[in-house]
Amino acid sequence: MTHTLPDNSPPIESRSADPEGPRTRATKPVPQWRRGARPYLLALPALLLTVGILYPFGVGAFYSVLNYGAANPTPDFVGLDNFSSILGDQQFWTSVRVTMMFALLATGVETVLGVGIALLLNRASLVGRIFEKVLIMPLMIAPVIAGVIWSLMYNSQFGVLNYVLGLGNSVDWLSADNALWSVILVDIWIFTPFVAILVLAGLRSLPKEPFEASDVDGAGWWFRLRTLQLPMLWPYILVAVIFRFMDNLKIFDHVYVLTAGGPGLATRTLQIGAYEDSIINLDYSRGSAYMFVLWVIVFITARFLVSALGKAQRRAAGSEG
Amino acid sequence: MPRYRPQGAARPGAPDLSRRRFLQAAGLTGLSVGVPSALSSCAIAPAVEAENGASAVTGSFDWRAAEGTTLRLLQTPHPYQKSFQPLLAEFTELTGIELEVDLVPEADYYTKLNIELAGATGAHDVFMLGAYFIWQYGPPGWLEDLGPWIENSAATNAEYDFEDIFQGLRDATKWDFQLGSPIGQGGQWALPWGFENNVVAYNKAYFDRRGIKPADDFENFIQLAVDLTDRSENRYGVAFRGSKSWATIHPGFMTQYSREGAVDYELVDGELQARMNSPEAVDFVRKWVDLAHRAGPVGWTTYTYPDCTNDLGDGTAMMVYDADSATYPKNQPGASAEAGNLGWHPGPAGPDGNYDTNLWTWCLAMNSVSSNKLAAWLFMQWATGKEAMTSAVQQGAFADPVRQSVFDGAFKQTLGGFPGYLESFETVIDSSTIQFTPQSKFFDTTEDWAVAVQDIFGGADAQERLDSLARTNTSKVNL
Repeated sequence: MTHTLPDNSPPIESRSADPEGPRTRATKPVPQWRRGARPYLLALPALLLTVGILYPFGVGAFYSVLNYGAANPTPDFVGLDNFSSILGDQQFWTSVRVTMMFALLATGVETVLGVGIALLLNRASLVGRIFEKVLIMPLMIAPVIAGVIWSLMYNSQFGVLNYVLGLGNSVDWLSADNALWSVILVDIWIFTPFVAILVLAGLRSLPKEPFEASDVDGAGWWFRLRTLQLPMLWPYILVAVIFRFMDNLKIFDHVYVLTAGGPGLATRTLQIGAYEDSIINLDYSRGSAYMFVLWVIVFITARFLVSALGKAQRRAAGSEG
Repeated sequence: MPRYRPQGAARPGAPDLSRRRFLQAAGLTGLSVGVPSALSSCAIAPAVEAENGASAVTGSFDWRAAEGTTLRLLQTPHPYQKSFQPLLAEFTELTGIELEVDLVPEADYYTKLNIELAGATGAHDVFMLGAYFIWQYGPPGWLEDLGPWIENSAATNAEYDFEDIFQGLRDATKWDFQLGSPIGQGGQWALPWGFENNVVAYNKAYFDRRGIKPADDFENFIQLAVDLTDRSENRYGVAFRGSKSWATIHPGFMTQYSREGAVDYELVDGELQARMNSPEAVDFVRKWVDLAHRAGPVGWTTYTYPDCTNDLGDGTAMMVYDADSATYPKNQPGASAEAGNLGWHPGPAGPDGNYDTNLWTWCLAMNSVSSNKLAAWLFMQWATGKEAMTSAVQQGAFADPVRQSVFDGAFKQTLGGFPGYLESFETVIDSSTIQFTPQSKFFDTTEDWAVAVQDIFGGADAQERLDSLARTNTSKVNL
């Protein structure tokens, strides 16, 4: 779409706020080489950043086709052996299942709760304003520290959870049956405020006119939410979902602090599997292959979600049906 | 009529790449590429081929031969380290060598060490090391062979007396890195510093009040632990490690596993065959897991040694099956609620009366790419020498010293308030050695073992799970 100035508007170069008319300032002509170099100079920081990301990515990809490890410091090219070894390993598929369950459940609950909290906080009130400030506090805590805090709270012998809930020392929050739910709960505790704040910002940027019109027409709360607020909020919600889902696919920190991926394989995410192979077992190539597979999963998911975001943005802007 | 093109609109004929699409693509790439970048940032240096530094030291021995050097040590907070901390100034006074000590908590210690050694930076000259780690750190050339240093009279004080260190410990720190070779041959990759026998520590005051004696065989041990358990009183029978770590396997588990007649591997036709699924092994694991369920801590699958010893010290756990030196500090006056109430017992004997015991030793090792090798060696021989070790023992928390002379001298004098400690030590010491088969995949395969035990604790069938473990581990160790 192009924009056309009205016929009676002055030429762009002569428009000025000065009532006495435009003044011409004598400026030194910019040399051609500087003008030519400008776009490259502007792009340089981004280029350096990209190289800084792509170089280790390339190294990681290269390692994944070698048999490189502490026990084998002079590696050979092994093609796709690491990948076939991983794909034939039951532990890998357990990690895929755990990672997907974690990402779907944590993202789903964080989104629903975050949107709900944002809708509640959107009503201007003193309590809402106080809650906005308090809500952000879990986000200020590093996930590793949150993991340590929750590991103390979950402790069966002296943890505050069993005490407050009156469970004595009978419940093991990190047992094979409970561990995944417990680590998801920690993620929800940390990151629901992130979703809430993002959606709240979106809510406050929505135009007022459609809502005023719906008030005039006597629309109810549910009708307004379903047909106006949520469709218009959808791009913001999707941005939150993209951030949270990508992050949750790569989850490591507080899960490792709480359970180290156990008991058994109950919370062994793909990142933890890669960490174990690379850093604990010193099999760098297998660990790199693990991460490469995770990259493929994240890339495909990110592509899908970003494309959904584009559609949602166009729909919210009214340019797509 | 003038026209202008809004920012971001495509020029006619230009590629169809709007700013939004560009940002989307960049964001997508950034989001996803960050994943493996994190991993490969720990880029690895090539194989380390450092020359042994011992031959460069000539002349007569002199404690001040490396005067003016600054030595960097990497250690983990531990009773051994804490006992030596006040003595470090004496070393500096003796040698003129300054010490910089970096402490990393044990949970992260080996991660830090793995990455540092793999990077061949030489950032630390000397570090604490467990003997099993020699099997993994030795083959890539990360450790200095200390044999030539010990034999070089220009580098080693005539009074050092390496043979005074218990034979089992000297053997535990030697290996030739050949699959199937036993420990005790090959290079001397570290110096034993302190060591641990895995025995049972118990709340002697409570036992005495109720007229109970420690159990002498495994069946009775299980029954006793169950009888001692009363969850409503927040009291349970026995604490032992259960976290998802190789460290869960090596203390009480491996000791009793060996006493029950099970082994980890057998050498068959030049290849190691995992035997974690033998009838004795399966039977033992079933009993061990049952013991954890009925008489262990509620959160067993997260339990590490400090959890176990804290529960003993608090009076929550009635027994602990773990390192004697880990429970020893809890009996020091003021160290815990049950200080002065603890006693020690060798633990349940095997069916044939054996007291096979798995051994752990904290050692000092030298970084093969250190640029201060002489200073590093002087520190190592000082820290493992008779005089410094005697002083450390007299600090009150250094158990067990690795030297026979120090054990018989200063250490025995500290044991008056530690009933059963010496008797337990003397019962197991002749059968105390590393019960594992040395192999370079130790941590990978032993952590898998801990995972299998956790799975069985979670309800998996013991025979099936251990069959699967044995298949996997056999293929891993022979790669």
